[in-house]
Amino acid sequence: MYKSYHAWFFLLPALVLLLVFNFIPAIWVILLSFMEYNVIQPMEWVGLANYIRLANDAEFWNALKNTLYYWFLVTPALVIIPIFVAVLVNQKLVGIKFFRLTIYFPFLVSVVVTAIMWGWMLRSDGVINYVLSLLNLEPVSWLTKKSTAMPSLAMITIWQGIGYYMLIYLGGLQAIPNELYESAELDGAGFLRKQWHITFPMLRPVIFFVAVVSTMAAFKEFTLMLVMTEGGPLGATQTVVYLIFEKAFRSLDMGYASTIATVLFVIILALTILNRRFLDRETS
Amino acid sequence: MLGTVNHRRAKTLYRRYGTKVVSYALLILLSLVMVVPFLWTLSTSLKGADEAIFSFPPKFIPEHLTFENYKAVWKTLPIPLYLRNSLILTFFGVLFPVFFSSLAAFPLARMEFKGRRFIFMLVIATMIIPVEVTMIPIYLILNKLGLIGTYAGVILPNAVSTFGIFLMRQAFLSIPREIEESAFIDGANVWQIWWKIMLPMVRPMMATLAILSFIASWNNFLWPLLLLDDSNMYPLTLGLYKLQGVFVSNMRYIAAGSIIALIPIMIVFISLQRYFAETAFSSSIKG
Repeated sequence: MYKSYHAWFFLLPALVLLLVFNFIPAIWVILLSFMEYNVIQPMEWVGLANYIRLANDAEFWNALKNTLYYWFLVTPALVIIPIFVAVLVNQKLVGIKFFRLTIYFPFLVSVVVTAIMWGWMLRSDGVINYVLSLLNLEPVSWLTKKSTAMPSLAMITIWQGIGYYMLIYLGGLQAIPNELYESAELDGAGFLRKQWHITFPMLRPVIFFVAVVSTMAAFKEFTLMLVMTEGGPLGATQTVVYLIFEKAFRSLDMGYASTIATVLFVIILALTILNRRFLDRETS
Repeated sequence: MLGTVNHRRAKTLYRRYGTKVVSYALLILLSLVMVVPFLWTLSTSLKGADEAIFSFPPKFIPEHLTFENYKAVWKTLPIPLYLRNSLILTFFGVLFPVFFSSLAAFPLARMEFKGRRFIFMLVIATMIIPVEVTMIPIYLILNKLGLIGTYAGVILPNAVSTFGIFLMRQAFLSIPREIEESAFIDGANVWQIWWKIMLPMVRPMMATLAILSFIASWNNFLWPLLLLDDSNMYPLTLGLYKLQGVFVSNMRYIAAGSIIALIPIMIVFISLQRYFAETAFSSSIKG
């Protein structure tokens, strides 16, 4: 029926685009990491110089530290909280669909609008500080203080991500056979015992999946930092990708920026392989 | 006797309604946390020029409710222009990934040809290359192609989605063989089989992919930011970002602009909600 040129005809547009915007860039970024390039002068091979510079660059280590801090604030929260939310919205209650949609909606909002909204909430005379004042607490300038800037951004990410991971967990929950809960009930298990002995063990692969996905997302985040804090105050919210962005497009230090990007690439690849290994073990 | 009966009754009452009450309380609390930023922005956008935005205690209900800000934004700021630009970019941002992914996925699912496994592996491998890593070379390539400052530059890096190919392939795989065979016997050519027979059968998956692409391109910020210099070409996201810096004094306008940016997302979300659970599950395969 089909000839093989048919296949290539259908594949051609996608393959050209993938080649130009995925494969070539993935190889080129590694090559660029060994070069010096500032857009104006031609590229120059500098060997490992960029990597040596990276190893001694306090700014890079600070960005890596910040990224790990952000990850530490965001990922455990986004792995754990949505499980409870999913259990909550997995009940047969009137209006449950409305609640699911409401909780999911923030995930669809652009980073710019999110930044605008939360920027106002977090102002020193904003709503959050008003709530604190009700509790007799001092107002905090959330985004301009070194110690609170990153936790504030992490909180926004958690706010935005809960609904998304909730839906993923909900899919996992609905795949658990109801008989398990019923027989546990016959054995006299209460609500909490059922969650502990059935829900958590059965959700294990989904939990791992969410951990990997949210970890990768945390390692790649930078637009929130860009639009809310510009990496400040004093570099406190400068993440690895933010540094790539800044070096490449503000300092036009494309070679060195590619070196940082290559290091990030290695981290992401390692996480992906880890994920695969685990999934293979789970399914076999 | 009576005491224990009452006690038992209270217990069954609690069993029946207690968890419900607790559940609703938690759900309402959680939903409030989710919507307060939106409500606050909406309220700011409806406040009159003489009304304080940041007062202690904050006023959620505007004292002099007015739509003046929306009118002003529409007339004095380039919001209508930005909206139009966003619509153009989003149109292609939905059309291209859906079209190219549906094209490429068809032979991967339905045809036998040399190199099929290899191409599919390649597509899967591409899924793990994040744009944050490759944005520098992509920028340089767009520069070489003369696409800096053009919509083509903004659209092309996202014109095909490997994840979309993956999704569409799954959909095509589920179609029974006999349908194609009888079409061949009726004398249909390959193109007709794809367009007239196959595509209508994978419409739900196309809708899912279209929604994912819609959200992604409506919210696209990175490429407009990197590529567009001419402020007449800004989409709404980039426009709001730039305005926010300039119009610090008039937050009411920024709030109104933000609400305008949210409306299309809300419309799509509410009218196509049944697809959204699907999109979340399917994007969860991605990792």
